[in-house]
Amino acid sequence: MANIIEVKHLTYRYQENDQRPALDDVSFDVHAGEWLAIVGHNGSGKSTLAKSLDGLLPFTTGEVAVAGIKLTPATVWQVREKIGMIFQNPDNQFVGATVADDVAFGLENRQIPRDEMLPRVQAAIEQVGMAEFAHREPSSLSGGQKQRVALAGIIAIAPDVLILDEATSMLDPQGRRDMLDLVRQLRVEKQLTVISITHDIDEAAGADRVLVVDDGQLVDEADPATIFAQGERLIELGLDLPFTAKLKAALRRRGIETPATYQTAAEMEEWLWQSLSNT
Amino acid sequence: MAITFEHVSYTYQAGTPMATSAVSDVSFSVPDHSYLAVIGHTGSGKSTLIQQLNALLKPTSGQITVDNFTITPKTTNADLKPLRQHVGMVFQFPESQLFEETVRQDIAFGPRNFGMGEADANKLADAMLQTVGLDARYAERSPFELSGGQMRRVAIAGVLAMRPKVLILDEPTAGLDPQGRQEMMALFDRLHREQGLSIVLVTHQMEDVAQYAEQVAVMHAGQLVKFGTPHEVFSDADWLRANQLDMPRAAQFAQRLAKRGVTWQQLPLTADQLADQLAARWPREGDAHV
Repeated sequence: MANIIEVKHLTYRYQENDQRPALDDVSFDVHAGEWLAIVGHNGSGKSTLAKSLDGLLPFTTGEVAVAGIKLTPATVWQVREKIGMIFQNPDNQFVGATVADDVAFGLENRQIPRDEMLPRVQAAIEQVGMAEFAHREPSSLSGGQKQRVALAGIIAIAPDVLILDEATSMLDPQGRRDMLDLVRQLRVEKQLTVISITHDIDEAAGADRVLVVDDGQLVDEADPATIFAQGERLIELGLDLPFTAKLKAALRRRGIETPATYQTAAEMEEWLWQSLSNT
Repeated sequence: MAITFEHVSYTYQAGTPMATSAVSDVSFSVPDHSYLAVIGHTGSGKSTLIQQLNALLKPTSGQITVDNFTITPKTTNADLKPLRQHVGMVFQFPESQLFEETVRQDIAFGPRNFGMGEADANKLADAMLQTVGLDARYAERSPFELSGGQMRRVAIAGVLAMRPKVLILDEPTAGLDPQGRQEMMALFDRLHREQGLSIVLVTHQMEDVAQYAEQVAVMHAGQLVKFGTPHEVFSDADWLRANQLDMPRAAQFAQRLAKRGVTWQQLPLTADQLADQLAARWPREGDAHV
């Protein structure tokens, strides 16, 4: 698979004399079309990493290339055309007086002619299921609805990469599920590459690949099942334990031996059923 | 402190054409030293309900009793000062309310405002800092240099410094990482068990409800639609599904096993409860294999 993003030896310090860099010699690739989850506890550097990809932080050393374009002060606007980002707090990213104005903002910035812009805005709002709210004030919407509007603003610009920076962490469980379902659907329809920075175990479970960041360094990279097999260490990495891992730990504390590999809920149910029937 | 709601309704902008009913005819009561969880969808009236507990919002009709304080639509703000000292409110994202130059000053602000001398207030601030799990080094720092999770702890220390008897928590772990969430919930549990604080927790985290709450109030469209222990609330799978409420993971898992014929004495709500019941029936080595 071709790489849509290549990061080489990226180092970033918030202040020049910081002893510990926020990012310390980070290298990785993002494959076109994949869903990549980046996990790590608060303060691990994962959001710094996301911002570096979009040229929001001027890194000190290293190299970032997005869709073959090397990120420099001269190319930063070209690179930003390729990437759409959604942040944690939906209230911090609204500029328009209505939902439709807000979705149009990115297109206006790119000087898209009005007769082309209006149908694109309309289509984007429909795709996120917010058509009936097009003329509402963003402040009257729920958190989940606001994140949908943010998503509409991004698909209107049709980027190659969507970065979700803890974009579901302030939503209620239903809002979170709806948002992730929508991203999954748009990813297929729009052939998007998705990078999600998250603490949410369900969000990470849906990824093709997981990168683990700790202390500004990349410490692990694997598919979700391999990452989840690490049990209690997941807590240190800023993730929750999958329920099956919690249940296994509780069973082990009661003297019951459990399989060492990660099991999905269905697999663990089967194993428990077999074990209980084995009398 | 015992809490009683009697036919409490709250209408925003009451008496105007913009009037919207947020809470209607809610009645329930919890004893002293209880741990109540309030659940329900966004917009169901949870926050409106709990903001009436320290009379930040006064009921449009009905009355609320917190120990021997009574809040009615006619209660004046002057009557409320002693109540507000006893009912500590931790809002969503409380760190946004920090404002002092140092962590110590910020925590001491409430007690100073209620007339405590500077030396005593500072001593109290340092003790509260320790209670929320931050060491003394933080006292002299600016609260704005801290991480989000640390700032939230400082804000909570500021509420605890008022020595409340009831602690109202509106989604206190939103936006924290899982480890931060766990530590924060453990802190509230400790305050509840060791210092006998009554807790009222608004949350979307059913795992926390299962693990910590003694009573659960379920709000829907401004009404109290269910009130009971976590077991009573979570045992009715059909009702939960109809109301689009999640069951704790352990209960979901136990129900899948129940479909295969495993019977539960009482539906397990946490991994530990589930493991207890599984261990009790686990085939031990040496058991006869038929």
